[in-house]
Amino acid sequence: MQNGNDPTKPQAGRNQTGAGRTAVAQARLILLVMVNVAQLWILAATVEAALARRFSALLPLVIASGICFVITLTLIFWWRPSSRRFTSSGYVKR
Amino acid sequence: MSDNQANLGETIKRVLADETDVRSATAPHQQDFPYDREEEAQVTRREFCNFLGLTSAALFVGAAGFAGKAALDARSTPQSPATKIAGAEVLAPGSSLNFHYPAMNDSAILVRTLDGQFHAFGQKCTHLSCPVYFERAHQRLECPCHDGAFDAKTGNVLYGPPPRPLDSIKLEVREGEVWALGREASSGERSS
Repeated sequence: MQNGNDPTKPQAGRNQTGAGRTAVAQARLILLVMVNVAQLWILAATVEAALARRFSALLPLVIASGICFVITLTLIFWWRPSSRRFTSSGYVKR
Repeated sequence: MSDNQANLGETIKRVLADETDVRSATAPHQQDFPYDREEEAQVTRREFCNFLGLTSAALFVGAAGFAGKAALDARSTPQSPATKIAGAEVLAPGSSLNFHYPAMNDSAILVRTLDGQFHAFGQKCTHLSCPVYFERAHQRLECPCHDGAFDAKTGNVLYGPPPRPLDSIKLEVREGEVWALGREASSGERSS
């Protein structure tokens, strides 16, 4: 059998792409969880600063939490596997 | 031992039979509302991502809300009218009395130290707002939640996690009666 007609070749390629996509999706999930944990810590620090009447620390903490939220939105809406393009009508194969 | 094993086997069979009965009994209902318990227990990656996004939004709103409320509370200056503390005139040295000042939801504690002097403080611990109490044996105010302690004369932190002194209440003794004249919260800003 010729190499070009080997049915296992395209299958292997597809598996590699799938594995890459899974890795990207896993990385995205891990990043989202890490950002959430950071935001949880920021909320605890905000509560503690408010009770301690350290008002100069409140604004930077809120800004940091906002930045984390923007990062989360970025990860959810824009950070996608590069092997496929997304349009309003769905995924388009290259 | 073998009897126990036989009993266990019968119990397992009965439980499995019950499960089968339940499934067959609910079959018509499942046609109208088809759902699989195992499938329902699974969460897709997309759903989990959306959940994390919502959690992030909630944490941001929580932090902003808490900071905003603290800033607003600091700007508003509550009225602190002169108020007589009932029962203070009969307070023995080395003991304490709880009262409310300036509003009914602002709990406070009046301490009469062994030298006969009166001192009053807000009763909320400055760490996480647990109520402090007067510890007679050591003549200090202690917080039972996280093992913090305050000086009974000044309200300053002696040890523990509280980041600032207790709110202090100005007092005046008028003809044997003790009057509260104002309540002041100290700042927790660190001087550099």
